[in-house]
Amino acid sequence: MLYTYMVYIALSIFGLGLLFSLCNWFRLNIGLHAQSVSPWGRFTAACKGIAAQLNKEQLRLLGKVFIQDILLQKHIKKQDRLRWLMHMLIFAAFMFLLIFHALDKIIVTPIHNSFYLMLNPLLIIPGLIILAGLCISLYRRYYLKVPRLKTSGMDLYVISILLVIILSGLLMELTKLSSYEYYQKIWWVHIVACLFGLAYLPFSKMFHVITTPLSLLANAVMDENSDPANIATKQILELDACTQCGTCSKHCSVAVAYDSIGNSNILPSERMGFLKEYAADKNLSPKKLAAISQGIYLCTNCDRCTVVCPAGINLRELWFAAREGLVQQKQPAELMLSPFSYFRGLNQQRIESQSYAAPLEAVSAAVTSDCSDSAGLMDAPIVLNEKDTGFKRAVGVSARTESFSYCFSCENCSTVCPVVTNYSDAQESLDLLPHQIIRSVALGLKEMATGSTMLWNCLTCYQCQEHCPQGVKVTDIFNKLKTVSVEDNS
Amino acid sequence: MMRFALFVGCNIPARVQQYEQAARSVARALGLDLVENEEFKCCGYPMQNSDTKTSLLMAARNLALAEQAGLDMMVLCKCCFGSLKKAAHQIAQDTVLQQEVNRFLATEGLRYQGKVKIKHFLSILFHDVGVKAIKEKITAPFTELNIATHYGCHALRPSDVTEFDDPVRPSLFDELVKVTGAKSVTWPLQLECCGAPMMGVNDSLSMDLARKKLDDCHRAGADYVCVGCPYCQMQFDRVQQMMELEQQVPSIVYPQLLGLAMGLSEELLGLTMNTIDITNLESYIQMETEN
Repeated sequence: MLYTYMVYIALSIFGLGLLFSLCNWFRLNIGLHAQSVSPWGRFTAACKGIAAQLNKEQLRLLGKVFIQDILLQKHIKKQDRLRWLMHMLIFAAFMFLLIFHALDKIIVTPIHNSFYLMLNPLLIIPGLIILAGLCISLYRRYYLKVPRLKTSGMDLYVISILLVIILSGLLMELTKLSSYEYYQKIWWVHIVACLFGLAYLPFSKMFHVITTPLSLLANAVMDENSDPANIATKQILELDACTQCGTCSKHCSVAVAYDSIGNSNILPSERMGFLKEYAADKNLSPKKLAAISQGIYLCTNCDRCTVVCPAGINLRELWFAAREGLVQQKQPAELMLSPFSYFRGLNQQRIESQSYAAPLEAVSAAVTSDCSDSAGLMDAPIVLNEKDTGFKRAVGVSARTESFSYCFSCENCSTVCPVVTNYSDAQESLDLLPHQIIRSVALGLKEMATGSTMLWNCLTCYQCQEHCPQGVKVTDIFNKLKTVSVEDNS
Repeated sequence: MMRFALFVGCNIPARVQQYEQAARSVARALGLDLVENEEFKCCGYPMQNSDTKTSLLMAARNLALAEQAGLDMMVLCKCCFGSLKKAAHQIAQDTVLQQEVNRFLATEGLRYQGKVKIKHFLSILFHDVGVKAIKEKITAPFTELNIATHYGCHALRPSDVTEFDDPVRPSLFDELVKVTGAKSVTWPLQLECCGAPMMGVNDSLSMDLARKKLDDCHRAGADYVCVGCPYCQMQFDRVQQMMELEQQVPSIVYPQLLGLAMGLSEELLGLTMNTIDITNLESYIQMETEN
C-alpha cells in the first residue's frame, strides 16, 4: 500500500517537474531572440516547427541522428573514448534494467519468474556493468583529473544516487536466498533510491536523459535562419541539455585566461550554469552580471565549443544571443572596446541598428568622460606634487612601458597616426593626440592619460612606435594604459 | 623535409577556412610538413589592450607547446604572429618575467625556454622555401594581373620585435607575388592599417580606413588586393561587401594566388569560399603558347 502511494507521489513530482521545465522552455529567453513573442506563440511555433519535420526526408535525418548520436553517442566517442565507454556502460545497462526489470509489469519480460530461486544473472551482470561505468567516472574525475572537468555537488549527487540504486539492487540479489529480513530492508533502500531519483530527475543533471536527445534532434534540423521564436525556445532547452561535461572548456581558445583571471564564467561549460540563472532573472546582482559579461565577452568566437559539444548544443548562437542581452544592459564596459568586439561588428546586420550602436556609444562615453572634465585643466597650471605617482609606476612596470619618459614631444607619433589623419578636426574629435597622451603619463595625469577618445580608438598598428626617434614604445604604453583602466574599474 | 607546428588561431577555422585550406595545399605541394597541435589556443592578441599580463601568458603557453614538440611555428595570422613574437621578445628580455611565466605554465607541466622560432607563413615561403624553389613549381603563371600587396601591421611593426621585413620599405611580399607572374603595383597606403582592430568598436573609423586603402588600390590599377592575415581578409572581403562601395577591389589570401599559379585546383584553394567573387582570377592565367 505504502509502496503504491510512493510510486504515485514520485511519478507526480516527476510529471510536475517535467511540466515546469517545459513551461520554462516557452516562457524564458536568453537575450536576442523572440523577446516579444508570447509563450503561447512560442508553443504554437514549436508545434508548427515539429509538424514541418513530418516528411520522409526529415524523418530519415532525425532517425540517423537518433541512432548515431543518441543511441551510439558518436559525438562522445570522437572526443574521448574512455568517457564514451563509461557512458555507454551506464547507459546501455541502465536502459536494459529499466525496460526489463523496473518496468517488468508493463513490458512483459521473463526475467523474474525463471530465476525465482537463484541468483539472477540478468540483473547482476547489468548491475556490475553500471558499477564498472561508475568506477570509470570516479577514476576520470579523481585520478586522471581530466583537464577542465569540474566536479560539482550535482555531479556527486548523480554518481551517488546511481551507486545507491545499483549497490542496493546487487545486495538484494545476494541476500534474497540467505536472509529474508535483510532482503526486505535493502528492498526499501532500493525502492526509495529509485523513486527519489525519478522524482528529482527533472530538477537534476539526470534531466539530460530527456533534454540532450531533444537538443541533438533540434539542432540537426535547425540553424540561425530558423524561426526566432523556436530558436529562443531551443536555447532554453539547451541550457537544460548541458551536463557540464567540460568538453567545450577543454577545447576553449581562451580557457587559459581563466587560469590567469580566475572568473569561472570564462569556461564555457561553467558559464552554462550561470546563464541558466540569468535566463530566469535578467536582473542579477551587478557583481554576477559583471562576471557573466566578462566571461561571455572574453570569447574569440572560434566555434570550437560548438563543434565538439556532445549534446549538439549550438553554443555559438547561445553566446551571441546572451552577449547581446548583456550588452543591452551595458555590460561589460571596457572589453567592448577591445578586438573581442570584432565578431559583433562583423555580424551587426543581425542586430537592430539602434540596439547595435547605443551600447557602444554609452561605453565610449563612460570611459572618456573623465578626460573631457580634466581637459579644462589644459590651460590651467598643473600642480605636480599632488599627482598620483602610483599611476606612473603602474604604467612603467616594464622597460618597454617605462620609455614614456624619453618623449621630447616631437609629435612624430601624432603625425604618422592613421586615426589622427582620418579626422580633419583631430584635436576635437580625439580629445588628445598620441604625443599628448604620452606627456600626460609623464606628468602623472591619470584621468587625462586614460580617458581620451584617442586612446580607446587606437588601432595598435604600431606606426607611432615604429617612427618614434626616442624609442618610446607608444603602442605598448597605450595597451598598458587601457589595462590599468580596466583593472581600476573591475 | 621542413617541419613546422601549424598555428591557425581562432578566426581562420571559424571564418576564413579558405586561408588554411589553400595554405595547406600549397605547403603540401612545396614539400612542407605541417604538424597539427590541438592544444594550441588563443594567441593572446584580443587581450593585449585589456589585460596585458593574461595576453602574454596565453601567448607563452602556445610557445611552450611548440617547444615541447621540438618544432618551429608556422603562423598564418599576422595578429597571432605579432602577439607570439611580442611575448617571446618580452620574455627573452626579462628573466624575472620568464620565471613568472614558467610558474604559470608549470601547472600544466609546460616550460618555456625561448628555443622556438616563430615564423609567419610568408616568411617561410620567402626565406625557408625560397623564391627560386617556388618558381620551379609555377606551372600556370599569371599575365597582366595587377596585385596590391597588403603587408599587415602586426607582422611589420614593431620591427625590432617582429623581425619580418624592412618596416618602411618591405619587399618580401612583393617578391612572392612577382614569382606568380603577376605585377605588384605601387600604392601609397600599402603599409597602413586595414581598419580591422576598430571593427565593432568604431565602425565608421574602421570602414574609413578600409575605404581609403581600397580606393588607393583601385587608383594604383590593382585588380585584387592580396593579404596574408585573416583579419585583413575579413576586412577587405566581408566588411568591404558590407560597405557597398561603387568600385570593389576583391581581396585574395596569398596561398590562393600562389596555388593557382602552381596549377592547383579551385577546390583545393577554396576559391568559392570568399564573400566577394574571385573566381575571375583564373582568366588571368597565361594560356600555354603553341610552339
